[in-house]
Amino acid sequence: MKIISKKGPFIRDDNSTNKMMNNLFIALLPIILFAFYKNGFLPYKNGDTNVYGLFYPLIFVIVPLLTGFITETLYAFIFLKKRKKDLINYTNSSFSIFPGLFLGLILPINTPLAIVILGSLFATIVGKLVYGGFGKNIFNPALVGWIFVITTYALTITSKGGYLNPTEIDAVTTATPLSNVVSGIGEYSTKVKPYGSLFNFLIGTIPGAVGETSALLCIIGFIYLVFKKVLKWIIPVIYISTVFLLTLIIGLSNGAGIWYPLFQILSGGLMFGAIFMATDPVTSPVTKQGQIIYAFMLGILTVIFRYLTPYAEGVALSILTMNLLVFILDKIGVKAKSDKKYKYIPLVIISVLIVTTSIIASLSFGKKEKDFNIISKEANGSKTTYIVTNKGYSSTIKARIVLTDNKVLEYVVLEQNDSFYKSITNNDYLNTLINNQYNLKDLDTVTGATITSSALKNMLVNVINDYTNNLGFTETKPISKPKDFEVISKEENKNSVVYVVTQKSFGGKLKLQITLTNSKITEIEVLEQKDSYFDKIIDVKYIDKLIKNQNDLESVDAVTGATISSNSLKKAITNLMKEIENEE
Amino acid sequence: MLKIPNHKSELKNKKIAIYNKPEYVYIPLVNGSDTDITVLVKKGDYVYKGTHLGKRKGNIKIPIISTVSGKVVDFVAKPYMNGLEVKCVKIENDFKEKCVETKNYEKINKEAFLELLHDNGIIGLGGAGFPTHIKYDNKEIKYLLVNAVECEPYITADYEVLKTHTEEILEGIDMILEINNIDEAIIAVKKSNVELIKILNNFIGTYLKIKIKEVPNLYPMGWERTLIKEVFNETYENLPIEKGIVVNNVSTIFAIYRVLKYNEPFTERVVTFAGNGFKKPQNILVKIGTQASEVINSVIVYKKVDEVNFIAGGPMMGESISTDDLIISPNLNSVLVLKNTHYKEIECLRCGKCIDVCPANICPVLIKDSINNVEKLKTLDVSKCVSCGLCSYICPSKIQVREYVRKAKEKIKESDNNENNK
Repeated sequence: MKIISKKGPFIRDDNSTNKMMNNLFIALLPIILFAFYKNGFLPYKNGDTNVYGLFYPLIFVIVPLLTGFITETLYAFIFLKKRKKDLINYTNSSFSIFPGLFLGLILPINTPLAIVILGSLFATIVGKLVYGGFGKNIFNPALVGWIFVITTYALTITSKGGYLNPTEIDAVTTATPLSNVVSGIGEYSTKVKPYGSLFNFLIGTIPGAVGETSALLCIIGFIYLVFKKVLKWIIPVIYISTVFLLTLIIGLSNGAGIWYPLFQILSGGLMFGAIFMATDPVTSPVTKQGQIIYAFMLGILTVIFRYLTPYAEGVALSILTMNLLVFILDKIGVKAKSDKKYKYIPLVIISVLIVTTSIIASLSFGKKEKDFNIISKEANGSKTTYIVTNKGYSSTIKARIVLTDNKVLEYVVLEQNDSFYKSITNNDYLNTLINNQYNLKDLDTVTGATITSSALKNMLVNVINDYTNNLGFTETKPISKPKDFEVISKEENKNSVVYVVTQKSFGGKLKLQITLTNSKITEIEVLEQKDSYFDKIIDVKYIDKLIKNQNDLESVDAVTGATISSNSLKKAITNLMKEIENEE
Repeated sequence: MLKIPNHKSELKNKKIAIYNKPEYVYIPLVNGSDTDITVLVKKGDYVYKGTHLGKRKGNIKIPIISTVSGKVVDFVAKPYMNGLEVKCVKIENDFKEKCVETKNYEKINKEAFLELLHDNGIIGLGGAGFPTHIKYDNKEIKYLLVNAVECEPYITADYEVLKTHTEEILEGIDMILEINNIDEAIIAVKKSNVELIKILNNFIGTYLKIKIKEVPNLYPMGWERTLIKEVFNETYENLPIEKGIVVNNVSTIFAIYRVLKYNEPFTERVVTFAGNGFKKPQNILVKIGTQASEVINSVIVYKKVDEVNFIAGGPMMGESISTDDLIISPNLNSVLVLKNTHYKEIECLRCGKCIDVCPANICPVLIKDSINNVEKLKTLDVSKCVSCGLCSYICPSKIQVREYVRKAKEKIKESDNNENNK
């Protein structure tokens, strides 16, 4: 028997950093599997992608994970001169897979793999190794990689389809639920409805970064990690509550219901960020008081970023910003331990901040209901003519609306001062409004002229309400929503038929004139399109290729940089062929 | 504060064994960690039980007494519970158990009480070894807090003493209350210690001034500051007496009882011998000054294990001793032999757990971070540390966090000394 002399304590807690990291990985597994299900399995099942696409989401998270692992191992081998056992020990305790893994989960699915690898390299080297490796970095490494990728390659990623997986590209035209928030607080019909209901937000079947969408799985992971004593649990609890509270106040003062704060906390990767990124032990405060202030500030910053800047997904930026302040927060945390005064001062400051932020935010979106005014109302036989005004983009919009027999007959804008008004006329928005008068709630606004178009919509809604209340406007059958694909006209000549069709695509509708001679497509002319990258399609004579390969469209690859538009072109042809088949 | 595994069940229901016939005793000339002792005997002197062998210098003049009768044969250095070797008086036991002559008191008043405690060398048996008579040398004592918490894992010495001598201890408390004119005594016991609470309740009925307080099963509940915060919701600067409270450990109360009742010098105590390195772990009544190895070889017996840690005290706050001829001193409550476990230390991940658990409310990880910056260390309340070891215990990266705090204490002391010298 040998007596070994050492420092106590001679018993230790069973928990270890390795166990904690393993548990973190376990908590992330369901999220990774869900990313596979949502972005790989479902599109594959719907026939929107091939076998490679089926496994692509897994590849998408494993590749940066391996990149990080290999980079750190090489670093240890070359620069730290670790060999054999030392090298294994180093890799076991440097947790090099996590920056890459997290990066894979927070990037848009359409980020090219080469850029993902570059991001992971950046995250590992600049985010971690530069500071001296695990435990010494100031910023969350994955977010360092993220900001590098997003700032450097934003255009490339958006042109490939951004956050949308192959199925979502067909279904949704705006990117993520949050991306329009800058232009007003929005309505349930435009914010939530296009993606289903809030339940979809909870489950995660909405567009978003690869692994960020499922709030439910994040919460399950949170409970697991708290149970396993891995997390600084107070951070996500306060962070999410703060965002909820702030957006509740903003929502209420703008007439939105409880759906609004729920929508805010369930979207934009807040759950994922708050639970997995903000709690990164290395880059968050160690003192309780510090953690509380850190989380409060994260909540406030996120809301500020979401409303007052063009960065819709404020979570990542908020965390990076607060990472920088951790050492100050810990200083306050230490003071608070010995001096009770410090316990309350930060809380008071924070409460004041919350109140002022919410007031400023709610003031910047004035109430829309009051902006509407009826100038005159005149009944002439069965016709009723309204002259109304509504606050518009930079000045008041004045319009005449004529109704008869429960129907809107005429909608004429008399005065407006929006320099983007062109997009309203281009879209024939006024006629769309008239055509959809029974179903205005579900009607989208015009991209590029959101405020004016929603003002126009608002005017019509209010006029109809007024008319209904006073003259008995009764609801009749609602007109069905515009379809993704529609045949507008068909003209038969000697041996050729000319179709004019529309197809939903990037930025809006694509209008095509397709000529068939002896049931074969001989000409396709693009009448209208809204994709600024459409040039790329023309550059490569894509349409000629399509005509050439019309019997085997699958074999024609999409044009890089204009994937959505090229896919839409294909779809238009397929849909038309189906239509013709049905006719026969 | 944290609930930690208590490892106490293996000694449950094992009666206290007795080992009080050592051939030689080695009385360490030390009080607490102070070895500045005036030696009062020389080689060849015959000493009785209770003979003053030495006296601490300075203000606190507590005597160090002999625990056997016999001849002083030598002065030797032996390992003491703080891991250092101290000078010991080696006495050859003549097994006659002759006691030094003592004064006879007609009635024990406060003055006599203090004198008795002093002359019989009664010190705190919980660990620090603070002279007990000094605690009572105060006119305004409101409460006597009897610490029966024993929050360190493995140790059951106090528990066994209280269980075996319940009536005597209650009687002792009552005597102390009367002599010192104290209103109330509170026995603090862990909530989880159901058996003990039951026994105490059986006997406590006739003592109206003695109450039982159940405290949560947390470590370090037995630490004076924590206990007083829990029982009285009070905090103090330096000593509990500021709030009119005297805190005594159960074993100390029992020692005081023996002195008051039989005018008997303090010569033996119950020590827990436990851990997975022993074949027959047990609580043993040992003569102060016995070598631990002697007790182990004749009663406890080592298991065949390759590597062990030999610990004086509990597994949390105890010290690692390099040999097993450790001397049983009055304030040593346990000897542990645990199989050695290697813990691989890795980089701190800043989880903040050491801050969460710290009962002194300081920030061990930040102290570790600024270990080379004395000015910064001074703002971190390092002196509040009680070395409970929870920070090292909880650390998932297996960092010896407490050692950094100790180092910080030394650095601050050093820098203060330098400033004073200037």
